[in-house]
Amino acid sequence: MKIALTVNGRPVAGDVTPRTNLADFLREQLLLTGTHVGCEHGICGACTVEIDGEIARSCITYAVACDGSGIRTIEGFDEDALMSRLRQTFTEEHALQCGYCTPGMLIAARDLVRRKGGLSRAEIRTEMSGNLCRCTGYMGIVNAVARVMDERAGFAPSTAPTANGWLGPAPGPGASVAFPDPTPAGGREVSRAAPPPPARPAVARKPVRVTVGDIEDVDGTVRLAQSFVLEHPRQVVWQLMSDPQAVARCMPGASLDGPPRDGNISGRIEVKLGPIAASFAGEGSVKPFPGEYRQLIEGRGGDRRSGSQVSGSVDYRLSATTGEAGGEATRVAVTISYALTGLLAQLGRSAIARDLARRIGETFAQNIDAQLSGAAVAQVPVGGLSLVLQVLAARLRAMLARIFAR
Amino acid sequence: MTAGQGIGARLLRKEDDRYMRGRGQYVGDIRLPGMQEVAFLRSPLAHARIRAIQIPAGIRDRVFIAEDLSGVAPIRADTSLPGFKSSVQPALATGKVRHVGELIAMCVAPTRAEAEDLVAEIDVDFEPLPAVHDMLAARQPGAPLVHEHWGDNLYLTTAIDVDFEAAVAKAAKSVTRELRTARQAMCPLEGRGVIASWNTRLDQLIVTSSTQQPHIVRTGLAECLGLDEGRVRVVAPDVGGGFGYKGILLPEEVALSWATRKLGVPLRWLEDRRENLIAGADCREHHYILTAYADADGRLLALDCEATVDSGAYSAYPFSACLEAGQIGSILPGLYDFPHYRCRTHSVATNKPPILPYRGVARTGVCFALEVTLDALARELGIEPKDLRFKSLVRPEQMPFDNIAKRHFDSGDYPEALRQAIEEIGFAEVRERQRRAEPDGRRIGIGFAMYAEQAGHGTSVYAAWGIPFVPGYEQCQARFTPDGGLELRIGAHSHGQGLETTLSQVAHSILGVPHERIKLVHGDTAETPYSTGTWGSRCMIMSGGAVAAACDELADRILRIAAGLLQARREDVRIEGGDVVGPSGRMAVAEVARTWYRRPQDLPGDLNPGGLELTGGYKAKRDTGTFSYATHAAVVAVDPETGEVEILDYAIVEDGGVLVNPMIVDGQVYGGVAQGIGTALYEEMRYDGQGQPLASTLSDYILPGPTEVPDVRILHMETPSPYTRFGQKGIGEGGAIAPPAAITNAINDALKDLGAELLVSPITPRRIVEAIGSARQRAAAA
Amino acid sequence: MKPAPFDYLRPQTVEEAVRLLATTPDAKVLAGGQTLGPMLNLRLAQPAVLVDIGRIAELAAVTDDKDAVMIGATVTHAAIEDGRTPDPTGGFLPQVARGIAYRAVRTRGTIGGSLAHADPAADWLSALTALGAEIAIAGVRSSRRVPLSAFVRGAMETELGADELITGIRIRKLSSRARFGYHKICRKTGEFAEAIGVVVDDPERAYFCAVAGATGGRPLVMETRAAPGSGSVTVEDARQLLKGAHFTGDDYELTLHAAALHRAYQRAYAA
Repeated sequence: MKIALTVNGRPVAGDVTPRTNLADFLREQLLLTGTHVGCEHGICGACTVEIDGEIARSCITYAVACDGSGIRTIEGFDEDALMSRLRQTFTEEHALQCGYCTPGMLIAARDLVRRKGGLSRAEIRTEMSGNLCRCTGYMGIVNAVARVMDERAGFAPSTAPTANGWLGPAPGPGASVAFPDPTPAGGREVSRAAPPPPARPAVARKPVRVTVGDIEDVDGTVRLAQSFVLEHPRQVVWQLMSDPQAVARCMPGASLDGPPRDGNISGRIEVKLGPIAASFAGEGSVKPFPGEYRQLIEGRGGDRRSGSQVSGSVDYRLSATTGEAGGEATRVAVTISYALTGLLAQLGRSAIARDLARRIGETFAQNIDAQLSGAAVAQVPVGGLSLVLQVLAARLRAMLARIFAR
Repeated sequence: MTAGQGIGARLLRKEDDRYMRGRGQYVGDIRLPGMQEVAFLRSPLAHARIRAIQIPAGIRDRVFIAEDLSGVAPIRADTSLPGFKSSVQPALATGKVRHVGELIAMCVAPTRAEAEDLVAEIDVDFEPLPAVHDMLAARQPGAPLVHEHWGDNLYLTTAIDVDFEAAVAKAAKSVTRELRTARQAMCPLEGRGVIASWNTRLDQLIVTSSTQQPHIVRTGLAECLGLDEGRVRVVAPDVGGGFGYKGILLPEEVALSWATRKLGVPLRWLEDRRENLIAGADCREHHYILTAYADADGRLLALDCEATVDSGAYSAYPFSACLEAGQIGSILPGLYDFPHYRCRTHSVATNKPPILPYRGVARTGVCFALEVTLDALARELGIEPKDLRFKSLVRPEQMPFDNIAKRHFDSGDYPEALRQAIEEIGFAEVRERQRRAEPDGRRIGIGFAMYAEQAGHGTSVYAAWGIPFVPGYEQCQARFTPDGGLELRIGAHSHGQGLETTLSQVAHSILGVPHERIKLVHGDTAETPYSTGTWGSRCMIMSGGAVAAACDELADRILRIAAGLLQARREDVRIEGGDVVGPSGRMAVAEVARTWYRRPQDLPGDLNPGGLELTGGYKAKRDTGTFSYATHAAVVAVDPETGEVEILDYAIVEDGGVLVNPMIVDGQVYGGVAQGIGTALYEEMRYDGQGQPLASTLSDYILPGPTEVPDVRILHMETPSPYTRFGQKGIGEGGAIAPPAAITNAINDALKDLGAELLVSPITPRRIVEAIGSARQRAAAA
Repeated sequence: MKPAPFDYLRPQTVEEAVRLLATTPDAKVLAGGQTLGPMLNLRLAQPAVLVDIGRIAELAAVTDDKDAVMIGATVTHAAIEDGRTPDPTGGFLPQVARGIAYRAVRTRGTIGGSLAHADPAADWLSALTALGAEIAIAGVRSSRRVPLSAFVRGAMETELGADELITGIRIRKLSSRARFGYHKICRKTGEFAEAIGVVVDDPERAYFCAVAGATGGRPLVMETRAAPGSGSVTVEDARQLLKGAHFTGDDYELTLHAAALHRAYQRAYAA
């Protein structure tokens, strides 16, 4: 896509793919390599530049989104008196060693002393916490910022230079034209044919209470037990639940390619969590234990887009019980376990979301119940989570909470 | 000599200007014509057999796997220590993958994004194998085997026993502690990066790499690729932090080197943060069972230790899988003088990335284990931890001192360093404050930790290891330019240490050449003398010694020429303030150089025809290394409710011998402390039971930011080393050694009334809250 | 890592944006990109199309009626931090905004984007739940307003349809007598919250709300009412409140959340 913007005061025209981030555009196309890339997920601050006078992460800002804006990189501050003063104090206070964080650090420091004055050392540390330095222990950096801030004690901090009352992310509406049409050059061709299905999930006909046990994580395998009671005789429930295809139909996101052949199945499980989507295609086996009213479904699949693999099992057992109204009912005890590898697994998960676990199987249980009662099974919503993958979602969420909670 | 600009001066850094203007040049800043980008398909599994790799036909010519790499030998980093088991690390996985992130396929495309698109098109059919991710489990019989033919998972076991059994009967008290330090990622802000190209004119491979050891990489690459070393040139441009992480020959370097010749275009691979965290080499993961014995007077009698190091799946080139564990046995005695000692160490293979020596190497873990256990012993004895230390520290009158592990301490006054730290931190005031309860309910604690940092150790030490390199003499090539400037060429590399400044100070001290006329050339095997590189806090000792040796020799040649020009005798002229001064006149050193090059007709006879360009070499008088040392003192406030820790005060008394540039020394110490605080409180590379790493971003792997590091005060003692050129000692790593021990001791001091003791780093809020909880339960049960 | 390929659309009106969302399969809204950017870079999210709403003028507007202020969805955290928007809360919103991530993130991160992701650890979700805020949503056919507490179904799951857009957040004004306390516990400055406690008490409006956030699910609203002496809520009281609100988590997590809630109370009622 063609973009036009101003970089360090010079008009620049560029042709970028939409996925080109601003840092790569500056570095690879404009050869302004003073903007460094340290993490590409918005944590380290090495890529900090100014966009219309406000500091921003150029690694998670796309060049197309900066069309029409004014960018200033470390190379654009040579005539800036405040930056010159910061550079002098940075060297006097030994505020840099390897130099990799330095351009971002200086731009963030300049922005701070521009906006604020009279801060304590602790406050300076807090304000500078968006920029990591692995070399200096921050002593020299804090000293340098504090010195320049002290020198400027008489100056009034200046407000955003180019905000112009615009309250959204720069550059705002005045800067450029719309991109009304997806261009093939930018990426995949976009078909306008099929609108997305509505995201409202079907509401459960009547609530089936699901009891959820603790989530265990043993040697990388996550195990979750849950149970619910269906107001139907065991034989009726078994008739449905001994059919893997029927079971799959009740699990949002799951689908089987066909009936089991020699106990083997193949199919797909899709998960969608916020903007994250994974589709695990794989194979498995079904082991029925009819005498015990038990069935064990095991499977293994991979999502190539994320390079992740999941293996897991669903083991359910039906026992006869008495329903709330005193009729014949069935308790369904389900144990789900899974082990995940690859990108989706390599995320912290200390805060596994147990509230998701509570909802696990609710849809499943409602759907089983609905089918037994002759009602239509809720169509699988786009945002629906399969039984197994809700736990996966919990794991993902834990990581997302870390990076993306802003 | 120009006053105030030579050795000892707080000279501002010469390298700063380019960095502050964004004009440094790191690997990622370099673009070569026709260059293509590389992305790697890496193993998602910790342990698996590769059954098949399916590459769509349409991209097969842009994807390379092990079978394509004909003539490439695997990386081997053996030691000559008896019993060592060798690992063979292929550039691209053959048959089996042994850790998450191991390279399987190399994909080449015009941009990194497109190369990653290719990665997503490859399917690998794995047969998952049970993974062993815990070093203690790996030592158990029946554990999955990382290298099947070994029969177990032990790279090496070492043992030291100095009359240990005799100690037990004599001891009045003993304490045993089981301690653990987490696996860490070193995380320089710049990751690794490699550009490989083939120069057809020189018929030479040129590898530009973000490395601390260009000459070692050259040797390793030549061996793996079967090339003469003369056909391999390695360039290390500006490097965005090392800390040990860039002291390794990478499979990526081997793979790109092979492929650039195959494809005939330059190739670039830049490690991203995710690769850095999940696939790059790690460090620091130790386990100790340590018993300390004391006599009735509280003097240390003996240490008995069983230590295990998780060395990961492969022995990394060149430092090997065993340096870390081997070092434990030799440095565990710390700064103490005691008569009995036993230490066994195990270097264990697991399905995790290899380990490398990170700033401080094993010392950080050892200091943690020893100093935390000594505090426990002091509590057991009912004495102040500082007093326990005073009773057993090596005394200044014993220097130089050969300790129980045969380390040779060169000089210093260890008790004085402790005394000064006690005073600086306000020990008495902190104890007084502890007696009053804090209004906010937090608990205050104070902790000390001491260590010595062996640095610049050379031939005798490394010959005993028998790893792929042994440091010998260090050289500097020095020459005057025709206009009187001075060029210094060294084989080590500067990436934050400020060698462009400090080595200039060394040369300036001898030759008086103004700093703006002195140029340090480093980081290019084609332009510099061989060196094992930048590691082990060695550069100020070794490169500094080499620069001094070369400049001494240059000075002699300058003086001989100048004596002739000034019509004086050699012994009557001297260099002073950039001039050669004789009895009846003076001339600028630069003028002497100009005469040598530009007006040889004016030169006197009988001169060294080698001229003003020479190689000087250096080795310390004793190559067992210098021992800088320090006491770190920390005061913390612990919130027993949330487990949050605030470092209220941190003071260091450090003896680095003669300081060449005190500003840079302080910077090294501050930076080390920040990393040590990361080790103490934040950094932890966790794995799940399948060996999947659980931190793939800097949100999961927490690096200390400005608010996590306090203002630190440093006091210097300056006891010269008797063995080095200027009495300097290596200090580059020290700051990172003691913080985990000092902070943990302070936390344990804060929590001692609650009966809680923390023995696993990092000391996280959860670990603190749970330790307090279990102490309460124990108390309730008692 | 670099993102998988995507296309990029930049509508100039809300109407155009929702039409694009309704007609474009696999599209994802991009506002400030501070949450989505990392996900794209890690290839966790691989949408076919990004619909950039960052330049739609009406979305960055703030309107003030008598009782409430409607903050446009793409107003940045920094604009709120800097006091460039009318503040219906007498200082509460800027205080929360200041604590979100880092300045260079706050300059682009948007209040609506944060809520659309419904990350339990995010500051706005807890703070605005405690304020009883409403979410204004535009769709192709209709627009609606939903209380934030009903908008969030769970961790990263909301009522927002794939063809809908958050247009603004409506926050009722607090009176000058209102008290508020916000306490966040993080491992590190700017990083995700491990526990959040929020207390808002406006006696003039007879409004009280105490919220525990960063729980792993939707924010938990405590079943308690403002009462004289709320300042004397103890840690043990906070634990009981959390249990009453069906907090799930291990003992450490409960302890942490109780501490955050307790400290939020303390701040709200500090003299």
